[in-house]
Amino acid sequence: MSYLKLILKNPFRNKTRGLLAIVGIAIGIMVIVALGMVTGGLKASTTSTLKAGAAEVSVMQTGAGNYGSGRINESRVTDLLNISGVKETAGMLRATNTSTSGSSTTDVSGTSAETGTASTGSSPGSFAGFSVTGMDPDKLSLAGIENIDGALYSNESANEVIIGKTASTNLDKSVGDTINLFGRDFTITGVYETGSFITDAGAFMSLSTLQNLTNNDNQVSNIAVKIDENANATQVGKAIETEYPNELSTTTAASMASRMNSALNTIDTANWAISLLAIIIGGVGVVNTMVMSVFERTREIGVLKAVGWKEKRILGMILGESVVLTLIAAVIGTVLAVIGVVIILSVYFGGTIEPSFAPDIFIRAFIVAFVVGIIGGLYPAYRASQLSPTEALRYE
Amino acid sequence: MNKHVLEFKNVWKTYHMGDGLVNALSGLDLTLDEGSFTAVMGPSGSGKSTFLHVAGILDTPTMGLFRINGEETINLSMKEQARLRRNEIGFIFQRFNLLSQLTSLENVMLPMIGKDLEKVKEVLDKMGLEDKYHKRPTQLSGGELQRVAIARALVNDPSIILADEPTGELDTANANSIMQILQDLNRNNGVSIVVVTHNPASASFADEIVHMSDGKIVQKDSK
Repeated sequence: MSYLKLILKNPFRNKTRGLLAIVGIAIGIMVIVALGMVTGGLKASTTSTLKAGAAEVSVMQTGAGNYGSGRINESRVTDLLNISGVKETAGMLRATNTSTSGSSTTDVSGTSAETGTASTGSSPGSFAGFSVTGMDPDKLSLAGIENIDGALYSNESANEVIIGKTASTNLDKSVGDTINLFGRDFTITGVYETGSFITDAGAFMSLSTLQNLTNNDNQVSNIAVKIDENANATQVGKAIETEYPNELSTTTAASMASRMNSALNTIDTANWAISLLAIIIGGVGVVNTMVMSVFERTREIGVLKAVGWKEKRILGMILGESVVLTLIAAVIGTVLAVIGVVIILSVYFGGTIEPSFAPDIFIRAFIVAFVVGIIGGLYPAYRASQLSPTEALRYE
Repeated sequence: MNKHVLEFKNVWKTYHMGDGLVNALSGLDLTLDEGSFTAVMGPSGSGKSTFLHVAGILDTPTMGLFRINGEETINLSMKEQARLRRNEIGFIFQRFNLLSQLTSLENVMLPMIGKDLEKVKEVLDKMGLEDKYHKRPTQLSGGELQRVAIARALVNDPSIILADEPTGELDTANANSIMQILQDLNRNNGVSIVVVTHNPASASFADEIVHMSDGKIVQKDSK
C-alpha cells in the first residue's frame, strides 16, 4: 500500500457519488474538446484557402452573392486582364450532380473566392449533390490545386476528371476508376488535396466539357483573378466593379477568410466561456463530492492524525483524490468527444470537415480538469487537514 | 532514577459547553516511568479519554505541564506534534479504527513514511497474523482486528502505547488474549503501556491501576 494507492482508491469508496462527479465534469470536458476539434478543423481549412498561388479575387455576377447562381459571359475572362493589377484570370463553372443514376440537372451557381467550388454535402457513396467545377487544367493553381496524385485532365478530353481527396474517400474512388457525372462516364485521372473541406469534397473537369454538359456555352459562374505581386486585392476588386457596374461584383479571398475566422473566433471565445463554466459547475460538483467524502471519513481522518499523519499529508491526499476524479473525467470526456466528433462529422458531414487533433485542444481540456480538481478539492482538503483529532475520533 | 515516559503536573483541560465551562482534567498529577504498564479506570466522564488524548498529543492542556519522554508538547508545532505521535506513540482504539478498504498489511503500513514491508510483516507475524496479510477488516474476527491494530501501533517502535478500551468490543477469551499480548510487549520489549478500561479483568494485567474521578487521580494501586 502506498500513499498514491490510497489516493487512487478513496474516490471510489462510494461508487455512485464518484461516478456522478465524474459524469458532471466529463460532460464539460467533452464539450470543450468537441468544440475545439471542430473549430480547429474549420480554421485549418480556412487558412488553406489563403495559400500562395491561389486567386486573390473572385468575380461573380452582381446580385448573385458569394455562392450565387449568376452567370457571366466568358468573354469577361479575357476582358479583365485589361484591368490594372490583374495578372491572370480563369473562368470557372460550377454545377451540381444531382442523382446517382447519371441523369442530372444543372445547377449553375456562383463560386467562392477560394476555389469556386462548393459541396452541398454529398453523403458517402452517393453522387447526388456532388459539386463539379469546370476549369482549364493549366489554371488549376488559381483554385488552390497544386499537388495531384495522378495526372491532370486534358483540356480537350471530354471524359476525364480529377476529384478531391475527401470525395475520393467518400465515394471510394481513386485514380483509374470511372465516375458517372451528368449521365456520362468519366475516368478519374488524379486526386487532389487543397486542405479546404469544400474544395476537397468536389471534382474538377475541363471548362468546355462542363459547359457542354450543362448547356452553358460561353458562360461561367465565376472568374478567379490572380493579381500582380504589388497590387492590392481590394483595389483590384473595386476597379473591376467600377469598370463593369451592375454586372460584376467581387470578393477577396482574404476578406472571406477573415469573415470565416471571425466567426470561428467567436466560437473559440464561446469555448473558453464553456471552459470557465465547466470549471465553475464542475468545481461545485467536486466540492460537494469531496466535502461529503471528508464528512463521512471524519473518524478515519482522526485515526490518520493519531498515527502521525501531518496536516500536509492529509491535505495532499484529499486534493489528490479530487484531481483523480477530474482527470478520470477528462479522459472519459476526451474519448467521448473524439468518438462523437469523428462519427458526427463522418456521418452527417460526409467527411468534408476534418476534425483537428491539435495537442493544445487536449492539453487545454486536461488543464481545465486539473484546475477543477485543485479548486474543487481545496476547501474539503483544508477542512480535513484542520480537523481536531479528538473531535474526529469521537465522530460517529 | 527511572526515566519518565509521561509527566502530568497540575494539568487542566477546560471545554466550553453552552454558556459554561467544563473541566475535563482538574489539576491532574501523574508520572509514569519508562517500561511501566498502567491501567486507568474510572466512571464515564471522569476524564479518562481526555487524559489519553492529552497523553497522545491529540489534545493540548489548557494549563499545566505535560511532557512525553521529557519533551514539553504545549509549544510544539502541528508538524512536530505529528512527528512525536508517529515516532513515540502507538494508539489502540476500542473500535479498532482500521481503514476498511485496506488490507492488514496496508493498515499496518499507514503510520510509516517510507515502505518497510519486512518490518510490517514482522509485527504482523508477532501478532500471529502471518496468514492474514492480505485480508481486509471485513474478513477478520474481532480479536484479529485488534491484533492488526496493535501491529499498527507497534510498527514505528513507539516508546509508549496508549490503548483506549482495547477489549471493549471483544469476548472474554479475545480480551484476555489482547491483554496478554500487551503484557508481553511490556515485559519483553520494554514498551510503556497505558490502558484505559472499565474492565477490572483487563486492568489486572497492568502493574499499576490508576483511578480517576472528576478529572483527577483519586487512587493508585500497585501490584
